[in-house]
Amino acid sequence: MSGRIEGKTALVTGGAGGIGWAICKRFSAEGANVICADITAPGDFPPKNVEHRSLDIADEDAVRSAFARLGAEWDSLDILVNAAGIEIEKTIEDTTLDEWNRSFAVNVTGTFLCSKFALPMLRKGNGSSIINFGSYDGFIADPGLAAYCATKGAVHALTRAMACDHGPEGIRVNAICPGYVDTPMLQSFFEGDGSGGGGKSLDDLQQAVRDVHPMRTYGTPDDVANLVLWLASDEARYASGQLWVLDGGLSAQVQQMKL
Amino acid sequence: MMRLAGKTALVTGGRQGIGRGIVDAFIFEGATVSTCGRDPRPDDLPETCNWHQTDVAKPADVELLASAMGACDVVVNNAGVQVEKTVAGSSDEDWDLVMGVNARGVFNVCRAFLPRMSAGGSIINIGSISGNVADPSMALYNASKAFVHGLTRSIAVDHGPAIRCNAICPGWIETGMLDAGFDLADDPVKAKTEALLRHPARRFGKPEDIASIAVWLASDESSFATGQFFTVDGGLTAASPLQPGLS
Repeated sequence: MSGRIEGKTALVTGGAGGIGWAICKRFSAEGANVICADITAPGDFPPKNVEHRSLDIADEDAVRSAFARLGAEWDSLDILVNAAGIEIEKTIEDTTLDEWNRSFAVNVTGTFLCSKFALPMLRKGNGSSIINFGSYDGFIADPGLAAYCATKGAVHALTRAMACDHGPEGIRVNAICPGYVDTPMLQSFFEGDGSGGGGKSLDDLQQAVRDVHPMRTYGTPDDVANLVLWLASDEARYASGQLWVLDGGLSAQVQQMKL
Repeated sequence: MMRLAGKTALVTGGRQGIGRGIVDAFIFEGATVSTCGRDPRPDDLPETCNWHQTDVAKPADVELLASAMGACDVVVNNAGVQVEKTVAGSSDEDWDLVMGVNARGVFNVCRAFLPRMSAGGSIINIGSISGNVADPSMALYNASKAFVHGLTRSIAVDHGPAIRCNAICPGWIETGMLDAGFDLADDPVKAKTEALLRHPARRFGKPEDIASIAVWLASDESSFATGQFFTVDGGLTAASPLQPGLS
């Protein structure tokens, strides 16, 4: 039986990270040829038809060269996943201009550059799909994540703009907006006590956060990969310009008042 | 592997349009499917699909349906009606019809089926882009879909983690309801041409475009998704209503 994206070509930025790697594996299992583009190498041995390439998405020359090379190897690109992102755990008062600029360079400019240089190949693709990484933090704020929240809001707006401009060329553009997903980035957030844990132990803090979710758990990278797969596949051929929140119901509710 | 193998599903309003698309997709993916409507069983319904003659607006009808079906893994609240009127032009009968099916019907079905759903169950409500932005001269329909959106969040919060509840918000899907909308225009052909140009996808949706996200939300692949809205509209609502060059 063939996979749900059998024979499609895909490039996943941040592909070696927690969520990115789950996407690479899922795409491979469903029959795609995948470039895992990441500034660092994956920790695991890549599965079938997944190749790691080092790429700094904030570097225009590097992105241009990466797609020039890919264009010489593949006739077209069907799927671009802009999953690379960084998180500075600070309020604006504590955020330096360098940190602010670096956040935008990776999360927003990187998405812009990869999409821009991928477009000629995506136009030749069959049912092409760009999947950006927004966040539920682009709608509502987590404490102490000011620059991150701002970059994700920018990705949401960019997603809609790209969908309008390039839909008539046969390219769909969506953003997936994860909530709390069990990744090294989330662990770092907890350890930084950025959520205002009020002196709770790490375990107590994590349990308290789980309990606030209607699903009583965090998401896993595989949960996110499942939705990315749907958006990448032809099953989603009429879905474009939307922000797909996947957060275990967290943002469906008002803040939990202790009454 | 079939993605809904072993699951039992109810899809309300599966006689035609989006509901039928979901019925067909669920059967294809291995689910045991029942559907219902106010009329007798349609001749062209797949043999393997159970039919119940049910008016979802009537609590007693829905309770009978739930007793007949028993345990259920997936409930899709698809049955809906539209009346193309403003508030000033709407009658009491219009209110009873639209709110009865689109709002009370969803409530009736959720109330009757929630106690019968197993842990890991999924409720999928068909909301609409019209629950977020107004279609002209569709006042009660727009309001009824906003009700569906609010109820969706409440069920997710109150009945998680055992039951998940999400809404799909279709845009303009090629069904009888869409044609009824164009018939309101002075020049239905011109209206349709311009409407297509407002869609980045340059086409209207098909029932199967909605069925594919319904399959995903019904399956265990979406086990972290609850309380959310899944809009499938060909990009329509990503763009501003102000489109220079179009009237």
